[in-house]
Amino acid sequence: MALKLLSDAEKVFILHGVKDDFRCDGRTRQEYRPIEVETEIVSNASGSARVRLANTDILVGVKTEIDTPSPTKPNEGKLEFFVDCSANATPAFEGRGGEELATEISNTLSKAYLCETVFDLQSLCILPGQQCWKLYVDILILECGGNLFDGVSLAVKSAIYNTKVPRIASATIDGGVVDLQLSDDPYDFQTLDVSSAPVLVTLTKIGERCVVDPTAEEEACSLVSVVLAVTEKGRCVTTLVRGEGSLHEDTLIDMLKVGTSLGIEMNKALKAALKLEQSKGENKERFGFLK
Amino acid sequence: MFAMPVDTKRIQGPEVSVPYDQFLAQQSQQSNEEAIGKERIDGRKSDELREIFLKTAVLSQAKGSAYIEMNNTKVICSVFDPREIPRKSEFSVNGELFCEFKYAPFSCRRKRGHQQDSEEKEMSAYLKRALEPAVCRHEFPNLQVDVYALVLENDGSALAAAITCAGLALADASIPMFDLVVAVQMGISITGKKFLDPTLEEEAYCFTLSGSDEKGSFGRVTAAFLPSLEQFSQVVQDGSMVTETYVEVLKELAHASKDAYRLSQECLLKAVQTSKEIKNAEQKN
Amino acid sequence: MMAENVCINVAYQRTTFTVPISQPTPRIYTPGEVISPHAGFIVSHGTYIDGDYLKASVAGVKEQVDKLVYVRPLKNRYNGEIGDVVVGRVTEVQQKRWKVDTNSRLDSNLLISSMNLPGGELRRRSVEDEKMMRKFLQEGDLISAEVQNVFDDGSLSLHTRSLKYGKLSQGILLTVFPSLIRRRKNHFHDLHCGASIILGNNGFIWISPTINTEVEGGAGGFTQNLDKEVSMEEREVMARLRNCILALAASKMSLYDTSIVYAFEESQKYKVSELLDAENMLDVALMTYHRLESQEET
Repeated sequence: MALKLLSDAEKVFILHGVKDDFRCDGRTRQEYRPIEVETEIVSNASGSARVRLANTDILVGVKTEIDTPSPTKPNEGKLEFFVDCSANATPAFEGRGGEELATEISNTLSKAYLCETVFDLQSLCILPGQQCWKLYVDILILECGGNLFDGVSLAVKSAIYNTKVPRIASATIDGGVVDLQLSDDPYDFQTLDVSSAPVLVTLTKIGERCVVDPTAEEEACSLVSVVLAVTEKGRCVTTLVRGEGSLHEDTLIDMLKVGTSLGIEMNKALKAALKLEQSKGENKERFGFLK
Repeated sequence: MFAMPVDTKRIQGPEVSVPYDQFLAQQSQQSNEEAIGKERIDGRKSDELREIFLKTAVLSQAKGSAYIEMNNTKVICSVFDPREIPRKSEFSVNGELFCEFKYAPFSCRRKRGHQQDSEEKEMSAYLKRALEPAVCRHEFPNLQVDVYALVLENDGSALAAAITCAGLALADASIPMFDLVVAVQMGISITGKKFLDPTLEEEAYCFTLSGSDEKGSFGRVTAAFLPSLEQFSQVVQDGSMVTETYVEVLKELAHASKDAYRLSQECLLKAVQTSKEIKNAEQKN
Repeated sequence: MMAENVCINVAYQRTTFTVPISQPTPRIYTPGEVISPHAGFIVSHGTYIDGDYLKASVAGVKEQVDKLVYVRPLKNRYNGEIGDVVVGRVTEVQQKRWKVDTNSRLDSNLLISSMNLPGGELRRRSVEDEKMMRKFLQEGDLISAEVQNVFDDGSLSLHTRSLKYGKLSQGILLTVFPSLIRRRKNHFHDLHCGASIILGNNGFIWISPTINTEVEGGAGGFTQNLDKEVSMEEREVMARLRNCILALAASKMSLYDTSIVYAFEESQKYKVSELLDAENMLDVALMTYHRLESQEET
């Protein structure tokens, strides 16, 4: 994303603020802006969620379809991420402008969800070697106000949490042809376990310190940031170093520690929010997106 | 100018093909796993690098080039003269690096395509970010330096080898740099065994969980360093790691990179000396 | 101390009250809507003539001065007027002039001849000065200035020929809708709470630590003190002001010294970072609104 133009004096002001642990909007270095989440907002999707982080708005829809498992992993279903950075979000995404960022985000997500301890792909298997579920996770960036990685990961986790996979009544092979019978009851579905799915925490290095959830102005003051995928148990499953700068060993280690502890916190907060939302059931008022 | 144009008419081979070794008896694989669990097959200590062979100026057409061999992992890398950034209208204050990472079709267990796949594109991005902080990009504004890394044979740690090799090739091409770049990989298995500079088998072993519960850490970390500035320029990690173990691994990688750094330096020095000798010899003639 | 760093809310718990509007909503025209059945008016901004009808071309409120009818759009970029105080960001350095982003449709111009150069008094601009342009102001720098002239195409020319204008140093820039800034005699305020603000008519608001003008000799210079660290107290006041102004702007309340000071005072019960929460922002705006209302009544 194009960086905001700032004067040297403004940068100095931000830099000192980060050093004093009191940022321009009064946050500490490790404080996020308020986040809002809503699930089940697209009726045609198997699962959906919207996350608003300051002025970043992300909509995720999950579609479930049937596919054949890959020959190397006959017992596993498939999970695919696609990020669409549409020019609606910011003019910088116009044409192929958002493509690089989009692939980067989807690659990071697929890497983060790849590990079997993170997400159980075997639960998506219908008939080993024959049929499995494939989840298409489509991520739409409606408004881009920075900190995309963190917001996207929250939305993805919420949407998968919300996903309803139809229950299979019977699956048989008859003369080499697979015969699937889905349950007649539309309310008979299985949900997916996301308890150990990761969230992404981006730590942006400003001066000698690092901050989370930077504003556009703060992003302009930074050369390098580290994206960590952290599970609820505080395990790091993917690391990505972005930007054109480099990091000292101590800074990196400090970032790892801060990142994991924040990741744990974020997973917990999301879990609580999703529980709260689920307890409200079908009757809750829907807000939809971009509001 | 060397970027391969996408040729749709070229026969790509069957769309979906399966490597045959998948149908081999599972037994040999299992016994192999057991062996790795005990000690490293090539007899190395857990914190020992493979023997590294480095050579610069291996290609005559490129401005700079380098070749790295770490036993069966072989990577060749070339760097071309700065040229104007193609298809770019705006002036950029800093020069750009264009990096392409490619596995040769025969380099891996499974056949690789002729065109870059998504994994190779990802690797290219890592390579670019690993090199960028080391290059004095302000010295060639509005220009682009092309870096091509080709993996001839992959037996583990291919990315690390490519980064080290590309760093050396840049230096060989006399591109101004703040520091050399070296990269090392480490794998860690669920049993807690560490493998510095893992082979392909060892990399795979780090991901076999064989039913053990999620307590220990496992996975791989590749880190690129600017050794004299003591900076990490890129860290690539996968698997699942507890912070303490992760930090430990990073520290060990930083330590191990010193050896690789020394080798890179020696290699460059030697190259300069030999070219000097050639010059002297020429003058005598 | 384990402060909560991450706060995830659920959408259905959101509050969506707004600050009440005291005046009745004016009639809003939509593009293509007939304003008047006969075309006996002078056509101006936001209107066009179709046959016998005068129609609106933008969504907005009708304004009429004698025979002149125009439609003021709801959302608008800044339309400059001579004498306005603006805050702008230099986007380009050209020969003899700087291009300045002032939130208008076109970039504004600041000519080297319409500024006080170092040395204080008016003096002839030499070729040397032109070569030093980037030394005075470079891309990204912020300035406060006054609108000197409005050209036909709507672009502005600015001047900084007073000591109160010039390059801005350390501080925070905010952008709000220009229509939210109330026109006042003075747009420079040294607030008692310990910070200065410049409410640019163009919707750019500048918050900075109060500068002791007597000691440092005015802001009209082109020097920046980059080493000086803003103290923690000042920083907190500035951050609180920032969040208060954004809270008022989110509720579409007009911004001027009194409203900002009131909001600042009403916000004291919250921590600065708590003011980022939509609910608290609304609360501050409401409290400010009531205070302003009650004052108007007395």
